[in-house]
Amino acid sequence: MKKLRYFCIACCLWILGMPLFAQPLISFDKYHTTTEVQQMLKKLQQSEPVKTQLHTIATSPGGTPVSVLEIGKNLEDVPAIFVGANFEGNVPISTEGALAFAKMLLDSAKYTEKIKWYVMPLPNPDAAKGYFEGIKFGRSVNDFEVNNDMDDLPNEDGPDDLNGDGIITQMRYKDLEGSFVISGKDSRIMTKADKEKGERGEYKIMEEGIDNDGDGKYNEDGIGGINIGISFPHLFPFEKKEAGKWAGQSPESYEIMRFIFDRPNIAMVYTLGSSGFCIVPPKGGRKGGANLSNIKIPGRYARMLNADPQKSYSMDEVIALVKENFGGEMEITPSMIAGMLGLGAAVNPLDEDLKFYTKFSEDYKEYLKGKNFNTERLDPTPAKDGSFELWAYYHLGVPSFSMNLFTVPKVKEEKKAVEGELSLDDVEKMSAKEFTALGEEKINAFLKANNAPDRFSAKGISDMMSSGKFTPKQMVEMMKKMPKPKKEGELSEKDKALLAWSDSEWDGKGFVAWETVKHPEYGEIEVGGFVPYIESTPKPEAIDSLLQKQLPWLLQLSEKIPSVLFADEKITDLGGGVYKLEIYIENKGYLSYPIAMGERNSQPAPVVITLDGEVDFLEGISRTPLGSIGGNQVKKLTWLIKTDKKPTITAKIESAVFGTDVKQIKIGG
Amino acid sequence: MKRYIFFILFTAIFQLGYASGVKSKIEVPLRFDRYYNYEEVTEALKVLHNAYPEMTHLDVIGKSEEGREIYALTINNKKTGEELSKPGVYVDGNIHGNEIQAGEVCLYYANMLLTKYGENEKISKIVDKNVHYIIPVVNVDGRAHFFDDAHTMHSSRSIRVPKDDDNDGLFDEDAPNDLDGDGSITQMRIKDPYGQYKLDPDDSRILVRCKPGEKGEYSLIGSEGIDDDGDGRLNEDAEGYLDPNRNWGYDWEPPYVQRGAGNFPFSGVGLKAINEWITKRPNIIIGFAFHNNGGMWLRPPADNKTRIPAADIAAFDVIGKNAKKITPGYVYMPSVDLYPTFGDFDSHLYFIHGIFSFVGELYPDGAETYHDDETKPKKESEGSGYRGDNTEETRERLKFNDNITQGELYKDWKPYKHPVYGDIEIGGWVKMSSRLPHPFMLNELVHRNASVVLLAAENTPEISMEIIDVKKVGNNLNRIRVRLVNKNGLPSMAKESEINKTHRQDILKITGGKVVAGGKINDIRLDKVSYKEKKPEIQFLSIPSYGNVEYQFLVEGKGEIKINYESLKANNLETSVKL
Repeated sequence: MKKLRYFCIACCLWILGMPLFAQPLISFDKYHTTTEVQQMLKKLQQSEPVKTQLHTIATSPGGTPVSVLEIGKNLEDVPAIFVGANFEGNVPISTEGALAFAKMLLDSAKYTEKIKWYVMPLPNPDAAKGYFEGIKFGRSVNDFEVNNDMDDLPNEDGPDDLNGDGIITQMRYKDLEGSFVISGKDSRIMTKADKEKGERGEYKIMEEGIDNDGDGKYNEDGIGGINIGISFPHLFPFEKKEAGKWAGQSPESYEIMRFIFDRPNIAMVYTLGSSGFCIVPPKGGRKGGANLSNIKIPGRYARMLNADPQKSYSMDEVIALVKENFGGEMEITPSMIAGMLGLGAAVNPLDEDLKFYTKFSEDYKEYLKGKNFNTERLDPTPAKDGSFELWAYYHLGVPSFSMNLFTVPKVKEEKKAVEGELSLDDVEKMSAKEFTALGEEKINAFLKANNAPDRFSAKGISDMMSSGKFTPKQMVEMMKKMPKPKKEGELSEKDKALLAWSDSEWDGKGFVAWETVKHPEYGEIEVGGFVPYIESTPKPEAIDSLLQKQLPWLLQLSEKIPSVLFADEKITDLGGGVYKLEIYIENKGYLSYPIAMGERNSQPAPVVITLDGEVDFLEGISRTPLGSIGGNQVKKLTWLIKTDKKPTITAKIESAVFGTDVKQIKIGG
Repeated sequence: MKRYIFFILFTAIFQLGYASGVKSKIEVPLRFDRYYNYEEVTEALKVLHNAYPEMTHLDVIGKSEEGREIYALTINNKKTGEELSKPGVYVDGNIHGNEIQAGEVCLYYANMLLTKYGENEKISKIVDKNVHYIIPVVNVDGRAHFFDDAHTMHSSRSIRVPKDDDNDGLFDEDAPNDLDGDGSITQMRIKDPYGQYKLDPDDSRILVRCKPGEKGEYSLIGSEGIDDDGDGRLNEDAEGYLDPNRNWGYDWEPPYVQRGAGNFPFSGVGLKAINEWITKRPNIIIGFAFHNNGGMWLRPPADNKTRIPAADIAAFDVIGKNAKKITPGYVYMPSVDLYPTFGDFDSHLYFIHGIFSFVGELYPDGAETYHDDETKPKKESEGSGYRGDNTEETRERLKFNDNITQGELYKDWKPYKHPVYGDIEIGGWVKMSSRLPHPFMLNELVHRNASVVLLAAENTPEISMEIIDVKKVGNNLNRIRVRLVNKNGLPSMAKESEINKTHRQDILKITGGKVVAGGKINDIRLDKVSYKEKKPEIQFLSIPSYGNVEYQFLVEGKGEIKINYESLKANNLETSVKL
């Protein structure tokens, strides 16, 4: 007996001593429930206890913890990247993505030596549960109690599964006032009746459900809640009940903001979800924001600056005016100007920042091609107002990259293989000489067949190509970006792609075929439509390969993070104990610090150069903010100092992001 | 060393003595010829609560950044109903730490309600009809530091969350310094033949701007202080700045758009606690936040893109237009007309909680007078609008200081050896001046402003319900008509809340019979009714200010029919009829 006990204890010790061996492997062949995600995070944490720490930062209204896995606990003085996933709660593959990403970071030390990581796979656990529940409707809201219709009860009228298939789709019923008809192209799809063509609507469409509370409205007060994916303060959508009444009303988003602001070393943010800044740069063109290239200076400031209140100025011009009139050593930043003139919030990505977004998106497409990844997919959803990824860019002022791990492939246009007709792909590979050699007739036919805009003519293009201003590759890229004219009666690109996807991948089950059901109020109706999650959620067996092909790009992107160091110094003896000291600071990263948005909002922590030693400063001060520094650039700072001795002074780069870099400089040596 | 300690003790006692007049025991009724520091406000609240334990409860509703307790005093007469069943009147003050008399207005209001209950008919009625929620000091850290540390009348406003105002990587490292150790941050001036200023021939304490070509005598250097961080600038990174009146949820914008906004809504923990506390009291219908100064009654909106419904403006006017008369020298206007703000408390109360909210900017300009009818100074037609730039007014205020406050508001210029500037002079208006009335004026200020709160409480909705008609209209079918009347100036809920579904509407509910049809009577004489399509037994409604609404129900059945009116913010009612 005793022996047996010893044996048991020995076994336990042996197991404890080899925690890696004792744990089952973490794999990505299914979607994990919120409980399993918690367990996986714990497992990941325990696999590298020295490097990692699990923070529980909030509890959702439904009682589930929101956790952040810190990787690089052992690191000091390094920049950090925050990775959040599935804020909208209905993109389960993004949660898997965050877990797989954490595992990649732990599997190889390469990306965890100079960067600290915070990974948050499940910021909206209440909504994420919706994927695993008996009745699925693509839930994005948490359990926060919201009485959406402000009657006497909360959550009393959600959708109902009328046909008992466990999913909420749509219902259609014939109604004299209906405005929809069945599409002539595909009888599954409903389209708006086109009055101009003399069509008359026959159907009404609604979300599957009954009027549970008998107020005449359908499904107007379902379960919950707040959608964490639109509950952040940039362009916070006040008008949407599911955003909450103010940004951060629900504890998840409030505590996420606090967690991030408590860590000023976070210098970059990744978001896995439905938008994709990695492939499509953040969109501009919003109205109402501050236009920094077209600034009017109000009267009282115009008088101070000797400016013309009628004229429009660029930001650089206003900075020049301020410097001219007020001088001084202080760096005048766009942020100061915008604040002084009350220009308001930025709502469009700044031009300087769009440059790196565009460059990286092109690089990413190349990267995916290299991985044999089909990029002919539906575009990611644009980031929503109030989303985490927009907040990270506009309020934190750091590079914010989002990635959607899955969208449905586009339907390849069936090209009639007409003899001698050229496809876009054929032309893309041609040289300018080969293309112009085709002759005017063939070129015109090619342009027409591929919906080129009217201003493209064979002659004009040939001339430009002959002079070397334009290449076939550039032309094809432009043509691919052109919006495809919607043909009369055609299904939308998205409907086409989803139907094809449902047929090919889901055996037609991605679309619930219309089926007659008895409705308590409308009598005979039909229930059917696209299955929730179909757009964003592939089959479990596809998860691993999607993650392995796309996520490593985010590892590569992390190498673009700025890195600020001493480059060189120069001391000039001006005589009489007076020296000119020049210190060169370099940014070895690709990205500037801060990015243009960070300069605009002054949020990123400053980099400060300090000098300490037995010297008097004739010009310059002992703590000098570096201001902004471009990617792969060197910035020079100059001091005039006086000393009777020949001291060694200590120069330091102080930064909450990059830590401290120290250099001893001998004066008069 | 010992001597040094004595010196500190001595100055401390001296300052306390000044701050609170002659230090005295705090007892009921409270005195208002003095200012209470943070501990004394707390003590005063406890004393009030202990004196009226049946009528009050005192709760700690949260803690500040530095761990001080934020207190709320609730006054409710349980004999006339539970708290949540009565229209709530909310009053707070001192959200900006330096605006201390706002706290005294709150204390006075509480003191007035409690000590005059049973003696004064009007006050007794208001105590019985309403529940009163009073938070005298919102920014508890700010108030504590304002009393304890050297400050100007404008500083110690912020929530105590450090911010790197000058963007040099250090936080709150260059605040003003009390060089002369008098407990106030005043001004520094230096003799300078090339300066822009000269002495005022009438009063050498005042510097006036030189005319072009005139020889200067002085330069103004700024607030008392040294360049603590050696960056060539003085006093540019003091405490905070996180403005507690820019950190609320409604229409919040980040700090690069709205100075002092804080990093995200409710980053101030005390403010968050207060908001949660208010959320649990949906019966609050009127709210006052007291500030200083300038003499203003401000109502929402605070931005120029939002329009608020005319019915709500009319309700605000009932109070605002009369408030002006109670407090001479005050103006009444939308907050945006002063300047637009984001994330302010009043907009949050109105747009999020459906509370009619006012800011009271206490202490109007021009209250510090020294003249008779003949010597009354003419208002300068082209002043810059900023107090202190107007030499005439400054002269008068100095005479007020000399003759009426015996010199307590102004510190005469005294020479000082500055580590950087050398020989300078330090002097000017002290901390307890300018935005704050001298204690002798406090009593009138707190009384008049508390009277405005009383006016608002009086105007909270008082709904009565009567069955105006029961008529048999068919076999087993009766028509019941109900009228709900509001005799006061505030509606049963804000129109804005109704339109934007901010909170539940009022409910009129019939039980006991089958309601075949029911709806709002649009014209009782012409018999025009808008019937509600579904669930006619529950009607959603609100009752306008000084107005009434009528409803009609067609009810099947016999026996007792109960009619209930339920409102979040007005009183609840029940009546019945036998068919």
